[in-house]
Amino acid sequence: MTAATSAPARPRAPRVTRALPLGAWRLLRVELRRNAMPWMLPLVAALFWFDSYRPSTQTEPLYVVRTFWNMGQGHTIVDFAPFGAAVAAWMGSRDGRRGLADLVTTAARPRWVAQLATWAATAIWAVAAYLLFVGLMFAMYARQGVTGTPPWWWVAVGAAAVTALTAAGFAVGAFWPSRFAAPAAAFGAILVLLMSSQTGFHHGDGWAMILPTNSNGSFQNDSGISYPWLPDLPIARIMFLAGITAAVLGLTGLPARAGGPGLRRAAAAVVAAGLALAGTGVGLVSTARLTAEGMAIPALHDAADDAPIAYTPACGRAAGVPVCLNPAYGRWLPAITGALAPVLAEVAGLPGAPARAAQAATTYTGSSIEGGPPALSDGGPPQAAALAGQPPVLRLYLGMLNMPGPCGFCDGPVGGTQFAGQLRLLFAHAFVGAGSSPGSPVQQVVQATLLRGAGIPFAAQPRLMGSTDNFPSPSSKSALGPVFAAAGRLAALPAAARHAWLAAHLAALRAGRLTLRDLP
Amino acid sequence: MTTAGLHRPAPGSFPETAATRRRRAAAGWRRTRLYLVSRRVPTALVLLAGLGALLWAALRWRWNIAGGAAARQFIPLTVEAGAAALIAVTTYGPFGEPERAAGRWLPVLRLAAAVALTGIAFGLLAAGAAAAHISAAGAAPAGLPGGTLLRNLGGMAGVGLLSAVALGGAFGWAGPMAYLVVTEAALAHGSVTPWVWPTRPPYDRGAAVCAGLVITAGLVLITVRGPREPGGDPGPA
Repeated sequence: MTAATSAPARPRAPRVTRALPLGAWRLLRVELRRNAMPWMLPLVAALFWFDSYRPSTQTEPLYVVRTFWNMGQGHTIVDFAPFGAAVAAWMGSRDGRRGLADLVTTAARPRWVAQLATWAATAIWAVAAYLLFVGLMFAMYARQGVTGTPPWWWVAVGAAAVTALTAAGFAVGAFWPSRFAAPAAAFGAILVLLMSSQTGFHHGDGWAMILPTNSNGSFQNDSGISYPWLPDLPIARIMFLAGITAAVLGLTGLPARAGGPGLRRAAAAVVAAGLALAGTGVGLVSTARLTAEGMAIPALHDAADDAPIAYTPACGRAAGVPVCLNPAYGRWLPAITGALAPVLAEVAGLPGAPARAAQAATTYTGSSIEGGPPALSDGGPPQAAALAGQPPVLRLYLGMLNMPGPCGFCDGPVGGTQFAGQLRLLFAHAFVGAGSSPGSPVQQVVQATLLRGAGIPFAAQPRLMGSTDNFPSPSSKSALGPVFAAAGRLAALPAAARHAWLAAHLAALRAGRLTLRDLP
Repeated sequence: MTTAGLHRPAPGSFPETAATRRRRAAAGWRRTRLYLVSRRVPTALVLLAGLGALLWAALRWRWNIAGGAAARQFIPLTVEAGAAALIAVTTYGPFGEPERAAGRWLPVLRLAAAVALTGIAFGLLAAGAAAAHISAAGAAPAGLPGGTLLRNLGGMAGVGLLSAVALGGAFGWAGPMAYLVVTEAALAHGSVTPWVWPTRPPYDRGAAVCAGLVITAGLVLITVRGPREPGGDPGPA
């Protein structure tokens, strides 16, 4: 016998080797294995393909456009969350449906902890599948050459929404252990999400910005191309959804059978914290304001997010004038140089002719919000082409235009001729200095003459103006009247005479000081 | 040889008396009642009535938000899908093999319950829509014609019954809910295939035929095969 063996046994504090005890891992593993969610995934995958992926492939290959429907308007959530909620309700009602509630209440592990393991397994399946499907969709986009930056923050919002709705569904099942809990949860989730979508179409600010399927102020123009996706609104929504998740899960820990008094007090604290978090999220979005780069929330905004995305432009030439675009739009460079070449050739050598053309970042205007004026415009509709600087530079706001090719939100694909006509019209309108208005009669005359010189006959011009987004069309729907008569006379002049007249009168033309009598 | 003897009961058998007929009727009633209770049909009826009230409230107070077809129809369609999901879930039975082995009336009961519940759901939803129109003194839209409601609900109930056959009664709700998502997407994108019948105008023949085929297929399969049961093939009922 040694001193060591005769020493009194000293209880050793258990070493903490893992964040969760082994039993909890095993419970979670069992729940993951016996979860119903995997059986629902083939159906969800089919819906995801039909509702989220397939329509997006009919749009321009830019992330901001491709993901407008499925991420901005939340169709990936609509495809996933009702089924996640329903399966969670089914799993949550399991003990009650099978008459095991009393049995599991007397088990070693508190009932609430066991319930949380069941919910966690369902949520893990649902969120993992959501991330997998979205990842596959983005991989397909990458393979198709989609340009820009994927909206990763909105993916996180989707995952948070799926989590929150599985929690809500689980609570339905836990409190109402019935076979009807699952359809009731699916029904409720789908009703809430579709209501959220429909409400979101009409609300561009205020509390409605918290709705996970509201795309206003988030998916316009050049987000992820010229400047980063602003994370402010996604962060507020994630806070709200995380708060909802915590609150409803906490509710399931409140009944007497959920566990001891300490655990129930903890559940009550979780409910209170969840409600506070959700309320904070709603409060934060109420302070959101539309900036040039999207919705910003002052308390969350980081000025570093306002920095433009650096890029090496893709450049070409049109009638000898350099034309440079964001590389995300590089695929359309030939179409743009081809469209601009005739009109740039017409004005070549004039004192106000552009020395170069460059794409500029299209900023948020709020114009997608129905029933209200553009929030950031200076009165008239913003134009996609403008001349500025000295020497003059033609700025192209291509984010405002539907580029040639498939167009999911138009009546059909945009043809090359149609696009070229629109770009020539926008250039001529900018060149005469008409700005956001239809322009003075003389400006309209010169615009019509330039377009005719670029191969667009007078008869086709009213229709072209009507089909160009945001273009401030004059009231005339036909190529008749004094403007087109004067344009005919100007166009009939020899090119050199027309050029000389424009060189002499361009400043007065742009200032709007000329009348029809001043025309040759 | 005459047929006179056929009127006589066979030797050894008892003549069917009024008491026997009463006992048979009582047994039939008891069997039906037990079947309905085991399928939670009373709860389903309460929930269907709730959906009728929801439809009434939505139409009465114009919860529908102005917009395209997807926006205008989404509450009626969601209510119809909810009703179809409830009908599908009532096919779930807890007894499995013993019930199938002992209950020769099971297919008849499944068919009768599905038809009756679909009819009752139609009645409740139609009543909700009509009450909204009347209580708003005609101001509420009469935008849910009976024929359209019957077509949409019947077709979706068929989808629900088919998904109960494929996935099991407990998961029969998945079919109508998935169909609702497909319908909303089709409405938003202007698709008009008759297989997505709610996208077609009222009284469209192709849509009615497709919806009719689906409910017929659903009723036939749920009658003959019954809902899929966990752990294997349900086998003949």
